[in-house]
Amino acid sequence: MINLVNINKKFADLEILKNFSISFEENKISCLFGPSGVGKTTIANIASKLVLVDNGEVTGTEKAVYSYVFQEPRLLEWFSVYDNIDFVLKDVYDIEKRVNIINNYINMVELNGYENYKPNALSGGMCQRVSLARAFAYPSNFLILDEPFKGLDIKLKNEMIFLFKKLWSESKRTVLFITHDVDEAVTLSDSIYIIKNKPVEIMEKIVMNNKDKEEAKKLLISYYT
Amino acid sequence: MMHSILHNKSRKIYIILFWIVVWEVLSLVINQEIYLPSPFSTFNALVDLLKNKDTYITILFSTYRTLSGFFVSCLFGIVIGYICGTNQFFYDLFTPFIGIIRTVPVMSIIIIAIMWFKDTNVPIFVAFLMCFPIIWTNTVSGIKSTDPKLLQMCQIYNIKKVRVITSVYFYSVLPYVKAAMISALGIGWKVTSAAEVLSLPKYSIGRYLYDSKVYLEIPALFAWTVIIITLSYFFETVLKKLFKSRNYD
Repeated sequence: MINLVNINKKFADLEILKNFSISFEENKISCLFGPSGVGKTTIANIASKLVLVDNGEVTGTEKAVYSYVFQEPRLLEWFSVYDNIDFVLKDVYDIEKRVNIINNYINMVELNGYENYKPNALSGGMCQRVSLARAFAYPSNFLILDEPFKGLDIKLKNEMIFLFKKLWSESKRTVLFITHDVDEAVTLSDSIYIIKNKPVEIMEKIVMNNKDKEEAKKLLISYYT
Repeated sequence: MMHSILHNKSRKIYIILFWIVVWEVLSLVINQEIYLPSPFSTFNALVDLLKNKDTYITILFSTYRTLSGFFVSCLFGIVIGYICGTNQFFYDLFTPFIGIIRTVPVMSIIIIAIMWFKDTNVPIFVAFLMCFPIIWTNTVSGIKSTDPKLLQMCQIYNIKKVRVITSVYFYSVLPYVKAAMISALGIGWKVTSAAEVLSLPKYSIGRYLYDSKVYLEIPALFAWTVIIITLSYFFETVLKKLFKSRNYD
């Protein structure tokens, strides 16, 4: 379990976090739900040690190995689909193991036949699938998804959500899922933190198991308006 | 396709022919070999040179000097450029130095180099000093233009430093360095010849240029110039082919 305890973080004079605490349960999908620009990515970057805090403590990260699905695919455009996944695995596994893992994940995200394509020959949705495959292929135990379905049309989005569920159920890890989309939040999450304001406050935590989805949706929307 | 390639080639030949005709007409109007030799007498002088064994030795030595200066500047330009591109302190440290080299007249550098080095090494040093800032500047721009989002991705996935250099920085810098290398090579030829004219190494195109001035053999001066242009063009083509063969376009 990764905990952020009494975190303070300022960017220039802007106070994003003040005495902010949150925890992400092991092998569960925790969702940060809130409007754009509230500081969701900052929280994710603190949890993944990309950003240092001014004050406070981040615990449970000693054994954390991260992978990340960013808003954009962030692929190396000079490498093929295969090599892009291989790129993050090279320091971890020997070649035989990599071949298996990569082919397996390319299969799972339904990109077989595209192994040797470069990203600029693929559509945005396909690139994002590569990014998803890369995140799961990497032996992480903490996965961050930062609005990974942003900019995809409904059909592609539903496909991605389906793929994500499939991948995650086969290889569970702690997930921090960032979104401002109500449907995404209630479909994927085990628990949802509704955040708002500056500095960020947690308005409510919704635990999803057994909870009626429609009811949860209404609650989320009520905070938005 | 085939037709258009042929068309293109023949067009190039016509364009070259056109300028040779302009040259011929000008030399006929001026009618003074000493000011502007005709293409014909230049060609004759060139044929005379090509019959002489010393010409080839000279070409070899001048090529050696140009390429040495070029390679050394690439090596230092890229390595120091990488360090300065990733480290603000070194960037600030090197910026005034590069600025000075850039603005100091070539002649000052040549003359000071003559005081410091053996005649044959003067052109190498001068070519290095002239090409280095070009490679350095482009390397720095390439490094700085590397997408920080990709670097953040590397950080998340714990990619080793060496592989970040070979797989991310390398490809980001490549188009910049490629352009810099091509223009540095051309400048290398010009500067090497200039430095040879003043330092006069035994076998050097510059020495022949100097002699043709002293003995007023202007057709020979033109012939040597043609040789320099041809060499420069040849090596530029080789360099471009080399990039292409490695799929680096």
